[in-house]
Amino acid sequence: MIELFIFIALPVFASALCFAVKNLKVQYALSLTVAVFHLTLSVIVFLGVHQAVLPGFFSIDSLSKLFILILSNVYFWVVLVSFSYLKRPAMPKAGEGKRYYFLLLNFYLAANSAAMLSNHFGMYWVASEATTLSVAPLIYFYRNEESLEAMWKYLFLVSIGIAFAFMGILMLTLSAKGTVLEGQQLFFWEFIKNAKELNPIWLKVSFIFIFVGLSTKIGIAPMHSADIDATSNAPGPVAALMSGSLRLTALLGVMRIFQIVRFTSSYDVVRIILITGALLSLFVAFVYMFKANNFQRMLAYSSVEHLGLITLGLGIGGFAFIGAMYHAVYNSMSKVVLFIGSGNIHRAFKTREMSKISSVLNKVPKTGWLFLTAFFAISGIPPFGMFFSEIKIFEGILFSDMPYILAPVMFFLLFIFVNMGRNIFSMLYGKRENGEVHNETEPFDFSHFVSVALLILLTAIAISSPDILYQNILVIAKDFGFAL
Amino acid sequence: MENVLSILFCLSLFYLSVTSRVKAYVTVLRVQGIILTILLVIPFLSHFSVYGIIIPATMLIVKVIYIPRYINKVILDLDIKRRIEPTIQQMVFLALVIATIVIIFFASQLLSKSTPLNVIPFASGFSAIAIGIYIIMFRKKLIVHVCGFLVLENGIFLFGTSVAFELPMLIELGTLLDVFVVVFLMGIALNRISSTFEGFEVAHLGRLKD
Repeated sequence: MIELFIFIALPVFASALCFAVKNLKVQYALSLTVAVFHLTLSVIVFLGVHQAVLPGFFSIDSLSKLFILILSNVYFWVVLVSFSYLKRPAMPKAGEGKRYYFLLLNFYLAANSAAMLSNHFGMYWVASEATTLSVAPLIYFYRNEESLEAMWKYLFLVSIGIAFAFMGILMLTLSAKGTVLEGQQLFFWEFIKNAKELNPIWLKVSFIFIFVGLSTKIGIAPMHSADIDATSNAPGPVAALMSGSLRLTALLGVMRIFQIVRFTSSYDVVRIILITGALLSLFVAFVYMFKANNFQRMLAYSSVEHLGLITLGLGIGGFAFIGAMYHAVYNSMSKVVLFIGSGNIHRAFKTREMSKISSVLNKVPKTGWLFLTAFFAISGIPPFGMFFSEIKIFEGILFSDMPYILAPVMFFLLFIFVNMGRNIFSMLYGKRENGEVHNETEPFDFSHFVSVALLILLTAIAISSPDILYQNILVIAKDFGFAL
Repeated sequence: MENVLSILFCLSLFYLSVTSRVKAYVTVLRVQGIILTILLVIPFLSHFSVYGIIIPATMLIVKVIYIPRYINKVILDLDIKRRIEPTIQQMVFLALVIATIVIIFFASQLLSKSTPLNVIPFASGFSAIAIGIYIIMFRKKLIVHVCGFLVLENGIFLFGTSVAFELPMLIELGTLLDVFVVVFLMGIALNRISSTFEGFEVAHLGRLKD
């Protein structure tokens, strides 16, 4: 019970307090305290020191253990950096947005935790709709036309997507007609236990509706557009939250239904759907990188790419599934560093257009170097974790029944890397025509500290490869029926 | 009784496809809310319980009273013109709607042979989902898009009753609350859009492109 209080009730309570307290510093201290509690508890639960028993529609299994740890890790660093970001926002008009910033952030944490811990499709639905509601006003932080449009599109398209997911859930109940599950509640484990009895046609339809609906939130092509607009116009820390944890919350819903389908005859069809979606996402990212003009948009497309890789891992199964879970962990951390850097660059140059940005390394050297390192991390250069997780995914593909998929995947990834690299190097090193370059010094602030800490953590996890993480991922793979 | 109400619901969809006034959309939303509330109340006529009346009551408050009133207020505040401004001709739209509904009814009839389901509520709910999407696709005004989204939501609700499935009360209330907040946020966003772009049409939203 106490776990539920810390994971969900405490953030809601903090959110209400943030409404009452107008002082930004107090709000920050409050949110940081909540984040620390949340992180501590999820680490304790993850390490298995404490066996969490949750009541009602909530429970913890190895999958939610891992995802809630990712969520609280990302959230903690984002909150930590938020105050220094709010003190000097990239655009002066953000005054009004600040007032509700921490309130919404706390609400976001509560909604995401509820979605990740839910063991009932209905509860999951309510919570994941709530995450949309919490993040939409945050996208409109800068109060300009672009962010307004992005917020409208995100709110509208994702709400429709989630409505589709709800239809998928209703179809799941249809698939249970005439089985022992008829008239029962929609608990995940009940469905997984009796998966073989479900009507295969309705089950497939249900999966398609849930996958397509949640794709708007995960950012799987061709439903990625609203997500891209939102991520590319949100302030840096919010974009980091979206890329690092919100997409995973939506992916969790897909994984839950996938886990049910895994043990039925519909598995082969569903696999093809997942793989197609994933390859399409990689392709979309590949095409965009050729004409990229806005660097935050480029990073948003990079998220589409990596979520595509994770989905591909799910679809392929086996080793690739293990790789996908590792990839989710590493991607979340690298994305936080990249988006925090992107926020700093936006603040220094007052624009997100890459054609107007040059000599970042001279103007904001610390941010520039960290951004470059984070770019290496996200591209899968060793010793950063992405290298190992991508290798695992490739290995999984190679030894699966569809090894030929590896060719297009490698091709897309190579060109995404080359084009992203070209753009980022021209931002960092490029010199404007007849422009003079001054070497400026940049004070070391919280955002740099967070970036350094995360990069060290990222490398440490990758190199030491903690056994507890590996064991946990193995248990997840076993739950999904992938014996290694 | 359920079938009669579902057919009434379906008729309201036809009305939606021929009317060209924004106000009529709001009225239809209200009527659909009343139909859904009655559908929820029917089971309680035989065995009444105070506990079970909470959801129909919330439904009534959210879908019949609060949301239509809020949309009317937005229309009034922003001085939105009364016409819906379609992107295709009304007659073509009506033909499309009729064709869709006919296909959905036939398909549901076929499906009902393999799975036991209530064909009329099932098909009506599904039609409302399709029409809601059409409204979003073929209308220029953003406020009409919100109405389309709500028609879609109502359709899902009717669809839910047709598969004879009951969510626990807490979750049911949660879904209603979510819809409530979505509409509220959309209203605020519309307010901002009208002051930022000086208009409420999709055409104004074209800044974000690849």
